Amino acid sequence: MKAVVLVAGEGTRLRPLTRSRPKPMLPVANRPLLEHVVESVHEAGIDEFVFVVGYERERIQNHFGDGDQWDIDIEYAVQEKQLGTGHALLQAEPYVDGAFVALNGDRIVDPSAVTRVVETRRTVENSVMAVTRVDDPADYGVVAFEGERAVSITEKPPAHGVTTNVINAGIYGLDRSMFDDLRGAEADGELGITTPLRAHAARGDLETVRFDGLWLDVSHLWDLISVNGTVLDRFEGERAPSASVHRDATVVGPVALGADVRVRPNATVLPGTALGNNVDIGANAVVSNAVVMPDARIGDGAVLRDCIVGENAAVGPNTTIEGGEADVVVDGVVHEDVRLGGVVGDNSDIGGAVTVEPGSVLGNGTRVESGSTVDGTIEDDATVRRG
Amino acid sequence: MCGIIGYTGDDDALPILADGLENLEYRGYDSAGVALRRTGSVDVYKCAGEISALRERLPDASDATTGVGHTRWSTHGEPTDANAHPHTDEAGEVAVVHNGIIENYDELKSALESRGHEFESETDTEVVPHLIEEELDDGRALPVAVDRVVDQLSGSFALGVVSEGFDGLVAVRQDSPLVVGLSDTGSFIASDVTAFIEHTREVCYPEDGDRIVLTDDGVDIENDGERVERPSERVEWEAEAAEKGGYDHYMLKEIHEQPQSLRQTVSGRIDEMAGDVDLDLDLPAEYLDSVEEVQLVACGTSYHAALYAKRLLEELADVRASVEIASEYEFGGGRDPWRTLVVAVTQSGETADTLSAMRQASRAGARTLAVTNTVGSTAAREADHALYIRAGPEIGVAATKTFSSQVATLSLLTVYLGRRRGDLSRERAQTLLENLRGFPGAIQRLLDEEDTLREVAAEYADGDAFFFLGRRLGTPVALEGALKLKEIAYVHAEGFAAGELKHGPLALVTPETPVLAVLTKGSNPEATLNNVKEVESRGAPVIGFSSHEAGEKYLDTVVAVPELGLLEPLVANVGMQLFAYYVADGMGRAIDKPRNLAKSVTVE
Repeated sequence: MKAVVLVAGEGTRLRPLTRSRPKPMLPVANRPLLEHVVESVHEAGIDEFVFVVGYERERIQNHFGDGDQWDIDIEYAVQEKQLGTGHALLQAEPYVDGAFVALNGDRIVDPSAVTRVVETRRTVENSVMAVTRVDDPADYGVVAFEGERAVSITEKPPAHGVTTNVINAGIYGLDRSMFDDLRGAEADGELGITTPLRAHAARGDLETVRFDGLWLDVSHLWDLISVNGTVLDRFEGERAPSASVHRDATVVGPVALGADVRVRPNATVLPGTALGNNVDIGANAVVSNAVVMPDARIGDGAVLRDCIVGENAAVGPNTTIEGGEADVVVDGVVHEDVRLGGVVGDNSDIGGAVTVEPGSVLGNGTRVESGSTVDGTIEDDATVRRG
Repeated sequence: MCGIIGYTGDDDALPILADGLENLEYRGYDSAGVALRRTGSVDVYKCAGEISALRERLPDASDATTGVGHTRWSTHGEPTDANAHPHTDEAGEVAVVHNGIIENYDELKSALESRGHEFESETDTEVVPHLIEEELDDGRALPVAVDRVVDQLSGSFALGVVSEGFDGLVAVRQDSPLVVGLSDTGSFIASDVTAFIEHTREVCYPEDGDRIVLTDDGVDIENDGERVERPSERVEWEAEAAEKGGYDHYMLKEIHEQPQSLRQTVSGRIDEMAGDVDLDLDLPAEYLDSVEEVQLVACGTSYHAALYAKRLLEELADVRASVEIASEYEFGGGRDPWRTLVVAVTQSGETADTLSAMRQASRAGARTLAVTNTVGSTAAREADHALYIRAGPEIGVAATKTFSSQVATLSLLTVYLGRRRGDLSRERAQTLLENLRGFPGAIQRLLDEEDTLREVAAEYADGDAFFFLGRRLGTPVALEGALKLKEIAYVHAEGFAAGELKHGPLALVTPETPVLAVLTKGSNPEATLNNVKEVESRGAPVIGFSSHEAGEKYLDTVVAVPELGLLEPLVANVGMQLFAYYVADGMGRAIDKPRNLAKSVTVE
């Protein structure tokens, strides 16, 4: 059985991080989300993959190539315009025959979920969908049941309309008839995979597989920090042999250290932290519960807590991201008390002795003058002057 | 320049040979063929054209488990069916594939003709099967026959031979690349590991004069009649790296791979705190102190990398440096060979011109250092010292990632020399090393601007000619930018030192000739801007690769280059690679296999 992995979307809620990479390439424990997904699917016994790529697809292709490094075969189908997950799945049509598994490439799932979808699909003719329970179902497709049988899927229902916390986990066992269903489906705007599945549910012939195992989604920027921490906790981080930690520096696991990372004298790297390839941590710096992407440079004496530092960003000496909880506004919605020290976008250049208030989000390529204080959301390529 | 492959073992030879030839196609692709050896016959299929044309002539299946294959890039004789390899004797009992040149084929051919042999092709190769036939007719076994024939040949060659009467394969290496692959289910020969890496990673590298016999019993190597052992090694390349992974062309894939390949180039070699590098080179300290000149020899893109390095060596390591085009090289007067370090820069390590220059330097008594991408290549083995650029395999004929990795490696060499000779301060070394660390990230930023370059390429693709300008470190980049465009788009492109413009080339500038200018640190952008004004006032559209904002009003398009000190021109170069790619792609060119060109040129 082949697996079709949908990785064509951007993940706009995760801007600025998704301006130059698609969401599935966000690093969790120094490996892209998608790599965790691929490994789970591979563990479930599948070694033929079709990636439906689109937005910033070069990032995915560069990392995965033809899949040899994971002992899998990857074929690429291209979705030129992002017109929904159903439209994305249609792009995979030339690459599959018979039954197949389809899933989102940006959610970390337990291999058992995939295994059970595969096994269930082998015993029934109907479409199969995995469901799981979450604390906050309003962001997902909420599934209503009558007894054992799923009867409806409601996409992102208003909070007051949520009657259950069982949601569509985004793992499906399907066959080629799905392509006809998708073509026949009436969609206003984006065509989702669930558009035809809703009809199946209404007819009573949608099989569901319930599971309670690992299921981690990164919906918002702060989720990246917590998912990174969770994965490090569960699986320990890898430390590349070429990473060098000065003998007077302290590294307390679980942390992940990428290739050619340098941790300079007296620096301290604390649990929940992933330092990407070629990251430089200056002398006396403290980094805790943070995702630091490749090529970033952290100056001497900087303190970074509960934060994300983008690729090739520079953080000056003695700059502080103090961490902790804050109210963060995303697309006009206030999210209260989320744990987010701050986000520093790719290629940003933060001067020395800058204070970054909790919840700040600095866009890509921002420049912050030494000694400034930053709060709130800063646009891409903006310059923050000391005022 | 050609590629050869051979297999003998338990599996069907046909698919192994055909797939292997596709992987070797970068070495040449104007004709191709295979010979399948079965008991009692040798079946030859060959034709002019790419491997895909050959595939149409091949049978669907064959039970042969031994055979040889060849992909050709013409040196002697045009690309025709008759000139395609394998070549055979009159009876069709012996088939030979050959990479290299047999210099004395004229006299051998005349002698054979006087003995009644008839030839079908214009190639130098065809004398070999006829000579072998004579030896076999005298009752000798194939390996002995090959030995006796090789004694009569002069030149450079790697040969693969099969015959009706011998259950196996015989190969010879003499001054041309050849690698042997070993596995439980059979043995391989090829010009390059990529030909069989899908089947095995266990390889050994024969040396010059080795004759290799591959049979069911394994591999036997003799040199000058003595049995020799060549140690086997494991190739660590990812086979994945030899496939396109979702890209339309290898070239685009390789352009995008540069952040990763550059990380690999510098990995573990930089000690920023000490301002030093660890290159695993054992040049004696007293020799380094005594060096008066570093002489770089190279061809094509490697030559441009060497030009860049010359500036760095003189500016940072304070050592006199010169660059020679390898085919023009001679160890000239005015220099003391014992105080000259000759650095041969060659991606493949098999470039014939560069090897020949290196050998000449060595004969003159100079110490030689090969800077190459290919472990076990001839350059690496013959030079006194080898330094690897670690860029991973490059399949696209137009070099992209290897140029960046070559300059990065030569920058490391600059620090090595400067620090050991005491002429480079720790602080200046640290700055260059920090820039090297930042190189992958800076290139990624340029790659993120790919859409801009695609649009610019579409806008200017129909120019009559393209001119590339730069100064100082920008000059080699201008030359390289023009070379890329020539190679893959087949349009007229020239790179100039910007100051030379007014001494002649300015006459060529019109509103139909787009100008691409390097305006970054290290390339004296203020001065180049004056030249930009000159071309702008003559109506030429100007695309500037700029790391600062001055002069933007004279530029029709600005491609922003991130700050990276003396390496900024190299980041601009990546923009020019994308420009060349999209111009060529818009014209529908065969980007990975440009006409008349081959990846590593193993003929002089």
